[in-house]
Amino acid sequence: MGFKEVVAATPKLAGQWQAGLGALRPQDKSHVTPEDTSTARLRGSVDIDSALTASDPNGNRWDFAIGYQHANRSDEYIYWVETHTGSDSQISLVLRKLAWLKTWLKGDGKKLAKFDKSFVWVPSGATSFTKGATQVRMLADQGLLYTGSVFKIPINHATAKLDNATHNRSRRRH
Amino acid sequence: MLFPPPRPHRLKVENFGPIKSADVSFGNLTVFVGPQATGKSILLQLQKLLVDTPSIKKEFARAGVDWSGDYHGFLDVYFGEGMRSLLKPDTRITLNGSPVDLERQIREKRPHRQESMFFIPAQRVLALRDGWPSAFNYYDASVPFTLREFSEHLRLLMSDFGTEGTLFPVPRRLKAEFRDLLQDHIFPGFDLKIDTQRAQKRLVLASQDKDGGSLPVAVWSAGQREFVPLLLGLYWLMVSSKTPRRKGVNWAVIEELEMGLHPRAIAVVMLMMFELMARGYRVCLSTHSPQVLDAVWALQRLKNHGAPASELLQVFAVEPTAPMLELAEKVMQRNIKVYYFDREAGKTKDISALDPSAEEAGESGWGGLAEFSGRANEAVARAVANSNQ
Repeated sequence: MGFKEVVAATPKLAGQWQAGLGALRPQDKSHVTPEDTSTARLRGSVDIDSALTASDPNGNRWDFAIGYQHANRSDEYIYWVETHTGSDSQISLVLRKLAWLKTWLKGDGKKLAKFDKSFVWVPSGATSFTKGATQVRMLADQGLLYTGSVFKIPINHATAKLDNATHNRSRRRH
Repeated sequence: MLFPPPRPHRLKVENFGPIKSADVSFGNLTVFVGPQATGKSILLQLQKLLVDTPSIKKEFARAGVDWSGDYHGFLDVYFGEGMRSLLKPDTRITLNGSPVDLERQIREKRPHRQESMFFIPAQRVLALRDGWPSAFNYYDASVPFTLREFSEHLRLLMSDFGTEGTLFPVPRRLKAEFRDLLQDHIFPGFDLKIDTQRAQKRLVLASQDKDGGSLPVAVWSAGQREFVPLLLGLYWLMVSSKTPRRKGVNWAVIEELEMGLHPRAIAVVMLMMFELMARGYRVCLSTHSPQVLDAVWALQRLKNHGAPASELLQVFAVEPTAPMLELAEKVMQRNIKVYYFDREAGKTKDISALDPSAEEAGESGWGGLAEFSGRANEAVARAVANSNQ
């Protein structure tokens, strides 16, 4: 099953899948751009925050999930994206959101947890961290990638992962 | 009182060595970053040639360097052997909006003017290779002018210190705060002295311990070997506390100030660059150190947010004494420019905003200086996200 089907089969997410980046709020769309301008690689998105508000109103809910098909991977990949102010004072809150997401992925979201993934914090305004900042390293240690104000989803993932059949097809083409 | 902005000084260069197009507006502090051999140093050398043509020609004449009116021969002796190829038929230089005919500028006779730009080159360690600075003439014509001249300046400076003098620490040379920081981070337990061995003067690090000996240059740490010529260059620029600048000298170029130094020592040297700015020099740095840009970034942000000067001193872990607060206040009024030399494009990019969230990778990655950290963070974040542990 791909991202779309697994979303449909996930408790409380049925009917929440949207094509492309359709689930992102208008103010967040400018913060996420696929490198491949054709949207064919985008396998849809889900507004986790809105979808789970009713069932978990007090939880530190994560923002979005975006399904993506990288050119150098056989399986779809999920970017779990949080657009949030990038400052020291927000670190603990975003880490609470990440902890919430990890817990949810062990429960209702366990089928989505099977996809390879990245947890991404995209600063929604000016940021106070440099790329080499200790805070950014600390976030990485928690599995959270802190990006620039625009997160560009790359066509190729940093690590290729092709099954044998796809790998052989790819070799024949070259 | 607000410090007046620097006089506009804009240098545009096309097709000069590896540079396809450079457009640089110099600030009170100008920082160049970028990979090796992208033209940072030659652009600074060109800038010196443009502002100091008469004094450069006079120095060559005094040293008996005969370029016989051969323009390309002059370029070889100025930039160093084989460097005449920097200039191409389609090289264009524009200074403050006016085209520069470099050949004409070099050939024409102009009234002598004192040197305006003091240049501390990246190869400065060669100036003290034998433990004592060599005269301009000691070097053959293959060596760039900036190194030969720097060595000559150090040689002249030595005469101020007498035959058996102490070069560091010296009262009235540098602020007491700088002397303490340098003692802690670069010369712990040692004084820098002039020693005479078999009638030959040489620099040594003399132990402050009564029973300790003296260490010649050959056994100094790499950082000390790199730093001592830089310190002497700073002595040249910081004449005394009462005279802010050496007469006639407006520019200070320091290439790769970080060489061989621990981050704590780099912080001290960076603070000394701020001292040069506070004294009214226009300071130009080239660097491969992300820490230098960390300092510039902090200065920019603190300035933009109207932070008190003591916050800047906090960055350097320095006590807010009255002289240091005055220095920080002055520096926070200065204007700073940062340029990235992009190898692929052969162009300079103005990344002065140093915005870590900038979409442009050259700016957010600070001209490649933070690129490695960025990739390390990405890889670790992915590994942790997908780990079963």
